[in-house]
Amino acid sequence: MAVNSRKRQMAALRGLTVASLKMYFRNRTALFFSLFFPIMFIVVFGFIFKNSTSNFKIDVTNKSNSELAKQFEAAVKKVPAFKVKEVGADQAATDLNKGDADLTVTIPADFGQKAADGKLSESKVQAQYNEAKPQNGQAAAQIMQQLAGNINDAVTHAPKLVAVESSGVKTKNLSYIDFLLPGMVGLSIMQLGIFSVAFGFISYKTTGMLRRLQATPIHPGNFLAAQGITRLVMAVFQTALLVGIGVSFFEFHLAAASILPFLIVSLLGSVVFMAFGFAIAGWAKNEDQAAPVAQVIQFPMMFLSGTFFPRDSFPAVLASITDYLPLTYLADGLRHIANDGASLWAIRGDLLGLVVWGIVAGFIAIRLFRWE
Amino acid sequence: MMTEPILEVKDLRKKYDDGFEAVKGISFSVAPGEVFGILGPNGAGKTTTLEMIEGLRTISGGSVKLDGLDVQRNPYQVKERIGIQLQSSAFFPNLKLVELLDLFNGLYGQNSDPMELLREVNLEEKAQAAAKELSGGQKQRFSIATTLVNKPQAIFLDEPTTGLDPQARRNLWELVQQIQKKGTTVILTTHYMEEAQILCDRVAIMDEGKIIALDTPDKLIKQLLDRGFKPHTKVQAATLEDVFIDLTGKELRD
Repeated sequence: MAVNSRKRQMAALRGLTVASLKMYFRNRTALFFSLFFPIMFIVVFGFIFKNSTSNFKIDVTNKSNSELAKQFEAAVKKVPAFKVKEVGADQAATDLNKGDADLTVTIPADFGQKAADGKLSESKVQAQYNEAKPQNGQAAAQIMQQLAGNINDAVTHAPKLVAVESSGVKTKNLSYIDFLLPGMVGLSIMQLGIFSVAFGFISYKTTGMLRRLQATPIHPGNFLAAQGITRLVMAVFQTALLVGIGVSFFEFHLAAASILPFLIVSLLGSVVFMAFGFAIAGWAKNEDQAAPVAQVIQFPMMFLSGTFFPRDSFPAVLASITDYLPLTYLADGLRHIANDGASLWAIRGDLLGLVVWGIVAGFIAIRLFRWE
Repeated sequence: MMTEPILEVKDLRKKYDDGFEAVKGISFSVAPGEVFGILGPNGAGKTTTLEMIEGLRTISGGSVKLDGLDVQRNPYQVKERIGIQLQSSAFFPNLKLVELLDLFNGLYGQNSDPMELLREVNLEEKAQAAAKELSGGQKQRFSIATTLVNKPQAIFLDEPTTGLDPQARRNLWELVQQIQKKGTTVILTTHYMEEAQILCDRVAIMDEGKIIALDTPDKLIKQLLDRGFKPHTKVQAATLEDVFIDLTGKELRD
């Protein structure tokens, strides 16, 4: 009887998964809404910012005549994405204000000076961008940071662990789409997890379908597994669709080697947000109860997790709080993979954050579950 | 009871956390092949009783044995042997009837032929229709089809004709009688007295969580008359529903 019932449970699991998938793909309205926002944003913003960031305009003001300063300025000029002008400080400020420069770099007078013991003291470079046009400036600033990192390594002869990984990116033209699309994938995964589970599952409850399923011999674990597998398939479908659009029409960069890690992180994100969805759907009795909770959870994250625009311009307190949001971990992780070619190990912090949230949400889901 | 009862309910109780006692200790047995009805007004505890037998609700006290299996100790084995029709049950609206029956086949580990099941409930032409396209009567007939997927020993129908028009109701009665002829035990709840009288071999009358009478419909009526009851209205040879059926025709209109 044991072997027989194992086969039966697998048959039950398979049957329910197939049925749920058919339901997803045939429910045109739900399909439309879960894909509509991310695609719309990608298309709209992708077109707006399509040609605006192929080059960054950099104003360099060099106040030092040390060897290091000269090297630094030369390195900046060498970056293909930079169009560098050497100007005085006042001109630089004017250019920045008028938008004629994306980033001004000021090399202070004491840059590259040696201390009394002959060692190089820490040399700082000031980079400023216009907060009104953050995307260009911040991308340029990121490149500057990498530049500085490389020079650090060269000067101190440190083993070039970091340099090897990011050297491929130094010359890449990162545009807004490279920032936006991972954010949109993250957003669509969050909405899939929360809405399709919360509302799809809730309708099982309110229509009595859940009770009817409960009356069959399928074990609750297999029932949940069917829901989970269905949503994971949906997540892969949505992610592939969004990435496909980004790559085909908007020059989104995703290296072939990064496709698998990208997908894996998407799946992990799906599981985590599904747990949120089940927590809501398991607890709520109907849509009226579920809707406000779902909105309270997903709406702030939509804007505070760095999906549309970077969080760099947030005040410090907000920035550190939003560091810990689940969508932040997901979007940042996906972005690192796509933009920096990061490996799963490199983003382990983000992955850990996601896993912790998943456990918390899962725990709440189990505690609060009600069959009706 | 000559043979072993297929269902044995002993002192069944249901008490909710807020103190409300929906079922206050009821006992009854059902013989194999019987049509057993639980009759009573809304709120009597009929649905709660059924849910406890089906394993959908925890039991506060007493025991339920189906075919010798204790429902609390062997819930999955009981579920494999019974068919269930819930009071309000929708199915995945975008799936076709055959696909839904495939789903239930999978859930019950069965291989029943979907077309055969649909034929039994007179829904063969609707095999490729989506569940959301069915009328009320068709939905009820379809949900009976889902109760038969696992060739159950007993099926439990919760108010099977509520909300149906007279034709659909009568058609469902014929369906139940067909099912009984094949040897399946039927336990149903209803608040339609006529339905209990026509369909049921025995009836338990429930009110406020207790069974206040249990016997065949004829014996119950005889006992009532013996108590000196005089009906309020004149009992005529036919009822208004008969008029309706006669004028509109017995065939189903869906």
